[in-house]
Amino acid sequence: MTWLTDPNPALTVLIVAMLAPVLTVAVGSWKPELARIVAVGTGALAFGTALWATASDEATFSRMWIETWDVRFALSFDGLAAMYTLLATGIGLFVAVYASGYMPLHREHTRRPPIDDTRFFGYLLLFMASMVGLVMAQDLILIFVFWDMTAVASFFLIGFDREEEDARESAQMALLVTVISAFGLLVGALLLWREYRTFSLPLIFEDMEPSSTVTWAVALILFAALAKSAQFPFHFWLPRAMVAPTPVSAYLHSAAMVAAGVFLIGRMYPLVALDERLGNFLVAIGAASMIVGGLIALTRDAFKQVLAYSTVSQYGYVVVMFGLGGSDGVMGATFYVIAHALAKSALFMMAGAVTESTGTLTLSETGGVARKMPLLAAGSLLAAAGMMALPMTIGFFKDELFFTAASAQGRAMQLFSVLGASLAFAYIGRLWTGIFLGEVRQEHRQVPIMLTWPVVVLGGLTLLGGLWVEPFRQIASDAASASIRHDVELHLAYHLDTRAENMMAVSVYAAGLTLLLTERWWRMGLSSIVSIGSKLGPARIYLMTLRGAVRLSDSLHGFEVRDLRSRIASILGPAGVLVGLAVLFTPTEGSFVVGPIERSDIPLITMVTAAAISGLVVTLPRDHLRLALTLSCVAYSLAVVYAFLGSPDVALVAVLIETIFAVVFIGMLVLMPRSTLRFETQVRPARWRIGRDAIIASVAGGMAFLVAWSALSRPSASTTVIARQIELTPLAHGKDIVTVILADFRGFDTMGEITVLAIAFLGILSLIRAGRLR
Amino acid sequence: MTTELSKISARILLLPVLMIAMGLMVKGYADTGDGFSAGVIASLGIGMQLIIFGHGEMERLPLIRFAPYGVFAGLFIALLTAFVPSMRGENLFTHWPPAGEAAPHFGMLELITAVVFDIGVFLVVFGFGVGVLGAIARGESRMMQAEEREARGSRVRTGNDEAGTPT
Repeated sequence: MTWLTDPNPALTVLIVAMLAPVLTVAVGSWKPELARIVAVGTGALAFGTALWATASDEATFSRMWIETWDVRFALSFDGLAAMYTLLATGIGLFVAVYASGYMPLHREHTRRPPIDDTRFFGYLLLFMASMVGLVMAQDLILIFVFWDMTAVASFFLIGFDREEEDARESAQMALLVTVISAFGLLVGALLLWREYRTFSLPLIFEDMEPSSTVTWAVALILFAALAKSAQFPFHFWLPRAMVAPTPVSAYLHSAAMVAAGVFLIGRMYPLVALDERLGNFLVAIGAASMIVGGLIALTRDAFKQVLAYSTVSQYGYVVVMFGLGGSDGVMGATFYVIAHALAKSALFMMAGAVTESTGTLTLSETGGVARKMPLLAAGSLLAAAGMMALPMTIGFFKDELFFTAASAQGRAMQLFSVLGASLAFAYIGRLWTGIFLGEVRQEHRQVPIMLTWPVVVLGGLTLLGGLWVEPFRQIASDAASASIRHDVELHLAYHLDTRAENMMAVSVYAAGLTLLLTERWWRMGLSSIVSIGSKLGPARIYLMTLRGAVRLSDSLHGFEVRDLRSRIASILGPAGVLVGLAVLFTPTEGSFVVGPIERSDIPLITMVTAAAISGLVVTLPRDHLRLALTLSCVAYSLAVVYAFLGSPDVALVAVLIETIFAVVFIGMLVLMPRSTLRFETQVRPARWRIGRDAIIASVAGGMAFLVAWSALSRPSASTTVIARQIELTPLAHGKDIVTVILADFRGFDTMGEITVLAIAFLGILSLIRAGRLR
Repeated sequence: MTTELSKISARILLLPVLMIAMGLMVKGYADTGDGFSAGVIASLGIGMQLIIFGHGEMERLPLIRFAPYGVFAGLFIALLTAFVPSMRGENLFTHWPPAGEAAPHFGMLELITAVVFDIGVFLVVFGFGVGVLGAIARGESRMMQAEEREARGSRVRTGNDEAGTPT
């Protein structure tokens, strides 16, 4: 009842966000046409809850999750969480509205059933929910869980058109790059745990001190963050991910997936600030991404490719600002994410709307759209102006903050930031003018208003942010304060003077405009440089690694499943070698002892010898029946050994197992075709194969012998356990220790074993039923 | 070859075998043997019937038909004994009665949950043994039928050949 009367905002936001995909899938499985309505409704509810939580006091929620490792289910709706939650749910809402117009058209093109709407909105909202969880999580393990949830949801979204090979490959690439790098986050978290004995971020921040372990841990976490934000050299997955339906691109590549990466940098910022080298590393990576992404964006022809590389480049800005650090850098980075998310999602949606209307995908096929779709042109012009950092838009301030942070670092950084911003000006300008101006070169059809209005509203917000920046400033200030962990205040206003930031902005406009107008001169040269780069770039390394890994795995698998012999060899051979290595590196003192032999041991030795002889004899017979019976001999002699050793339970089980095994073995022989059996008894294997098999068998057997010998030479370690179990047996109401161990002390093991038995049972039945033995 | 003697001895031996199996299971906590060995012995007893009488005859017994489901029933029973304690906030596999308390008796038999778990093990093993042996026996009888049909078919065909086809 306490939660109902006094709801915890952090928990409420997560619950509402998590309910959104559940409700959508539940209703959508019943009536697919309702999925989009429910999706928009629940998305709006999540956004409303996020607004309410932002307005209420900062809330935290914490429950112990895994006590042994001090893992908590800890959430906090602080400034940083508020900002990213508002972005994820707000942009998510716009994307859901847009998708409810877009998806029916997309399904029509690709001939998909209506139920696919349910899938689409389910994954979209699952992504939103994971993102909301991620930004509130205060525990590194919880962060890791939500982090991977976003990766999984993005896999299904990017690969939504699963019939197309390109979509599947791109989805796999996005998943591999972001999930493999996520191990950096996990390993970093474990390193931090080793240092501070907790996964809780607030506790780590309290105790943190610079040390090389912490630097390594943070570097690994940054690795995960940079790969997720598609920073150089992991930028290649993002343009490939453009095969996804446009709403997915608009969401993942503006406010969600790539934003998760820079969010993580923001969350870990206090640790990043501990070591200057980490900041320099971020500056280097971010700068490379800015330039590489910007240059490639200038040469792309497809709308979505231009936008994809522009995202790489503009997240490069954010990373550079985090690297420059200080309150200026962090505030700039934080504000940049807001401004970018608004404008970029609008531009992606614009690209989708144009394609839906005209059927064209590239700049060279398109032109003069403004005359046919004036509303879209106006809305996206505002968004583009925001991206190009024109005054009276929110984008102006994002660049101003960037210039402030850069100016503090001296002339070179100033120059570099102007260069980067001019690139952004040029590629966005090129995209917008290329689509909307010029001659009309294509057919147009009517598109639903749901494809236009989100663009107009987001464009309007970009403009509003330039005129009335206060609410955005407040959100960014709170978020930056949460990152730095002390209160900072962002000051944003227009100044009509010749301060450095203004002069830099003016030079950006000049340089950008020049680039835009001189396109025809640099186009060819830049394209050839870029195509060389993309041939030799990291994408190629990724593909080669992937192909090599697949080939290696295929050849190993091929060897393993070729026949029974190679299957056994592939288990026994490596096992023998590994055990041999273990024997080599273990101190052998007192391990290989030959104890005294007494008269009472003679029966035992006789039976062991019998077992050994029958073991050798097994290699001789060639027909199957005799082989089965000789194998039984080995086991029966061993059963007698157990009986002599005074363990009737084990001896009984050994005899029984052997009997049923022999019966089943012979039964199986009956089921096999006679001709196969006859063939196998007559054919003689090649000499080298006999030799190879003998070597594998000797290595495996010899190593097993060594291990058994050394274990039996020092039985002392386990005697205390056995003594304890003997002592406890009467307490467990038993008199037979073996049974008590099986059913009580090690009940869990027995449970596992009978589960394996049940699974094997199903396997055997299906093998015999399908007639595979014939 | 199945003789009258083997048929009679198989029939006579079945009940004692099953009884020994029951005995091993019930006494498991006090003496040698447990649910596992009991399951193997019982399924060997059934296996003997399958070998002697063949699948066709044995299939009519409900025990043979339903024994394979014992695998899942047993698994379920074992899981119950494992997880019911966790609902009361105790660790998995906390058996009842707890250490030190006297267990209720039924004659000489002590009633404890560990034995229930052991019965689950028995059912899994028994179902496994009977299921696998039954499947083999069924395959075998089908194979024999197919061979018979083939033999009859080839005889018919040779007959035809002799009757008319010119060579």
